[in-house]
Amino acid sequence: MKENKAASWSVNIVLTLFAVVSFFPIYMSVVNSFKTQGEIFDSVLALPENFSLDNYIGVFQELNLLSSAWNTLIVTVVGLAGIVFCGSLAGYKLARTSGKLSNFIFLMFVASMLVPFHSIMITLSQMAKGVGAQGSLIGLGFIYIGLGVNMSVFLYHGFVKAIPKELEEAAKIDGCNDFQIFTKIIFPLLKPITATILVLNVLWLWNDFLLPLIMLTDVNNYTLMLSINMLFGQYAADWPKILAALVLTALPVVVFYAFFQKYILEGIADGAIK
Amino acid sequence: MTVKAINDKKETSVNVRKKEKKLRTKSSRLSLILFVLPAFIFYFIFLLIPMLGAGVYSFTDWNGLNPSYNFVGFDNYIEAFKDDPAFRDSFFFTLKYTIVVFFVQNIVALLLALLIESRVRSKGFFRTIFFMPNMISLIISSFMFSFIFTNVFPELSQKAVFSFLDQSWIGDPDVSFYSIVIVSLWQGIGYMMIIYMAALQGVPKSLTEAAMIDGANIFQRLRQVTLPMIMHAITICSFLTLNGAFKVFDVVYALTQGGPGTSTQVMALNIYQEAFSNNFRFGYANSKAMILFLVVLVITIIQISISKRKEVEA
Repeated sequence: MKENKAASWSVNIVLTLFAVVSFFPIYMSVVNSFKTQGEIFDSVLALPENFSLDNYIGVFQELNLLSSAWNTLIVTVVGLAGIVFCGSLAGYKLARTSGKLSNFIFLMFVASMLVPFHSIMITLSQMAKGVGAQGSLIGLGFIYIGLGVNMSVFLYHGFVKAIPKELEEAAKIDGCNDFQIFTKIIFPLLKPITATILVLNVLWLWNDFLLPLIMLTDVNNYTLMLSINMLFGQYAADWPKILAALVLTALPVVVFYAFFQKYILEGIADGAIK
Repeated sequence: MTVKAINDKKETSVNVRKKEKKLRTKSSRLSLILFVLPAFIFYFIFLLIPMLGAGVYSFTDWNGLNPSYNFVGFDNYIEAFKDDPAFRDSFFFTLKYTIVVFFVQNIVALLLALLIESRVRSKGFFRTIFFMPNMISLIISSFMFSFIFTNVFPELSQKAVFSFLDQSWIGDPDVSFYSIVIVSLWQGIGYMMIIYMAALQGVPKSLTEAAMIDGANIFQRLRQVTLPMIMHAITICSFLTLNGAFKVFDVVYALTQGGPGTSTQVMALNIYQEAFSNNFRFGYANSKAMILFLVVLVITIIQISISKRKEVEA
């Protein structure tokens, strides 16, 4: 019993040490974002003399963080909606149809999940130029659909396989057509896997950097990650302002996490096992 | 009714049924196409065509601007292997990074998952703390760490206990390798930890308890019971870490830009610079992109076949 207690305490100590190390960068960034340049020069470890919001106000006025956030939101919503809508339609039908054509299409989607983005980014940028998707936020959202739909087809396909067919047959007898069966009966049943797919994709779209970097040329269309990158160059070594901007940009995701923690953790675990 | 009439009737009804079946397969094929079409269009334009295009252009001297180009056979590939030391270095740098990240990320994530799962009250708290960095994007994480590396560590290193932090974290390529690894691990471990935790919850308590009664110590229990039971999670996490590590870009871009010089360049960054900021040799850059694809493919196949064998054994 005594031994157990000692072991339990040592586990606690190890975990706490890890936690302190893991949280330290966030803590340092937040603390120093309230300081002046001079205070940082004196000591980064000390607490600020007064928690002034000057850096935050300055950053907010000088940067278009709100408009960048809005741009990011457009891209994310368009991408997510398309990934869920197109993916569920295709995944459902592919799971319900047997035959060579259906198998072949499904295999194509699945095999493409292995393609690294960096292998196609060059030709993709040319293609985007060709179809007029380059430089536009909606276009960027569309590209995310093209890149992300394969995984959602795969996940929906697996999930639909486990749903009994009787429901659909009953609806058919009642006179529903294929599309009605899907929207009225199947799609509501897909809620759990839809939540998983949203979780797996939302952070990718919101936090992605390289694709917007290649696609967006107009500063007014910049997403949050591009704006932060630009600002890092602009402010050179003005750390208080940079840190304030970083904290502001990270805040929405942390709040999002606080609200949806349960779904996020479940989504990651479910998405991995399937 | 004569026999003939009956036969006729039978025949027509068979024919009708055949026709109906044909109609049904036709309509089901139509409905298959209609349902798959939206997904397929996006997939076709933004993934399939670029993929095939990358394969084709990798054999050309296309410069991305000029509409005309010539096929040059394997010249691009030969150049990438033989006459491009920066690309070769970026390959070995990425390989080294992948090996380190693969082992450390999985071992630490599994260790944390095991420790946290053994807690009762503090489970949620620790899970949140370790997963939080994963919510913050790699770009933001890297900029935060830029501050830590250039301002916080130098000050900390003045205290005797932390004197080992007195390094040129971003300027010295040997050290900045570890800076890149540190940021990646800090941001990535939480995700793997969540997967391992979910797998650990699926291990029946009765099994570990039975092993305990049989006199197995904690390490034996871990090796003989727990690890075989979560083999599928180890497979998945291995896949995710290997795949992700070989495609590393954001951290390096934000932390060192591949510098000093090209000493910390990774493959993805090398390809990016070849295509978008150097001399627009799109054909050549595409051959490098195809090499990256093949490397990822080979590693994935090896990893999956090893994992499958292990899973069967377990």
